[in-house]
Amino acid sequence: MSPLRTPDVGDQAPELIRTIELPDMIAYAGSTWDWHRLHYDHEYLAAKKLPAPVVDGQVFGAYLVEQLQDWLGPRAFVRRLEFRFKNLVFAGETVACRSIVTGVRESSGAVVLTLDCEVSVTGERARVAVGPASAEVRLAP
Amino acid sequence: MSDRVLLTDSLHARVGESTSYTAPEPLGRASIRYFSLAVGDLNPIYTDDEAARSAGLDGVVAPPTLITETNQYMTGSRDVDGYLGHSWHLDVPNSRLVRGGNTYEFAQYATPEDIITATWTIADMTERRTSKDVPMLVVTSQAVYTNQRAEIICTNTETLVYTSLGPAATPRAAGEA
Repeated sequence: MSPLRTPDVGDQAPELIRTIELPDMIAYAGSTWDWHRLHYDHEYLAAKKLPAPVVDGQVFGAYLVEQLQDWLGPRAFVRRLEFRFKNLVFAGETVACRSIVTGVRESSGAVVLTLDCEVSVTGERARVAVGPASAEVRLAP
Repeated sequence: MSDRVLLTDSLHARVGESTSYTAPEPLGRASIRYFSLAVGDLNPIYTDDEAARSAGLDGVVAPPTLITETNQYMTGSRDVDGYLGHSWHLDVPNSRLVRGGNTYEFAQYATPEDIITATWTIADMTERRTSKDVPMLVVTSQAVYTNQRAEIICTNTETLVYTSLGPAATPRAAGEA
């Protein structure tokens, strides 16, 4: 749900939680024309000593955009998204996207928010998947 | 005398190299809807013209990160690993590749009518050491995505990290695509 007012420093977007199963990964691979075996081929993965299909890291950028736009509403435009990959994520794992406002300023009549973001794997093998990460969002007047 | 292990002169000579890929057709509404469904992002500005117009747009637009995948602009064949997209094919012997990160700067939404050109340039190559003193080569590339009017939609600065396969190499760095 979109906030009724312009967010302040310290405000947090509602967490976006997503369990990424193999069919989700295959759908993403198809939609991005990325057919790399890393994302589905168990024999290939075993040879690389990887335990399961590897989630395409680019999808986390799409999740962060989704989280911010769903929170901030239709006047929001994500201008900048910066992220570092920290750990691989594997098929069947659940991730949580967290974003917190770190700056609010005006620019050319619009409000510009800066946010710190993170994508973490939840559960027994909890770890940071993407971080540090940050975003800049323009809110149209 | 240089103590570089991975960054050879022939590799370093490739800094500044550039290549472009232009999609053979417009991005298209089906491609946009496919990506939205695959990601699970049901924002109606991607599929419903009326909702998009209510948000101040001319019609449906593409999710911002959709266009940052270069695979869709290629017309060749996949490689043995199944990969179709852009690669510099850098020869870094005895190393393991991992993607370090990306910085996207979005100037505007792409639309279904847009014919995207992605222009990749090798911006920098630097050799460093990991915290365990293992040599690593950091390659910084920049992609500029433009439409058929040569308007910039997005720039994407990407880092690729080649880590020397020494005793300190870890399985998690086993090459993300």
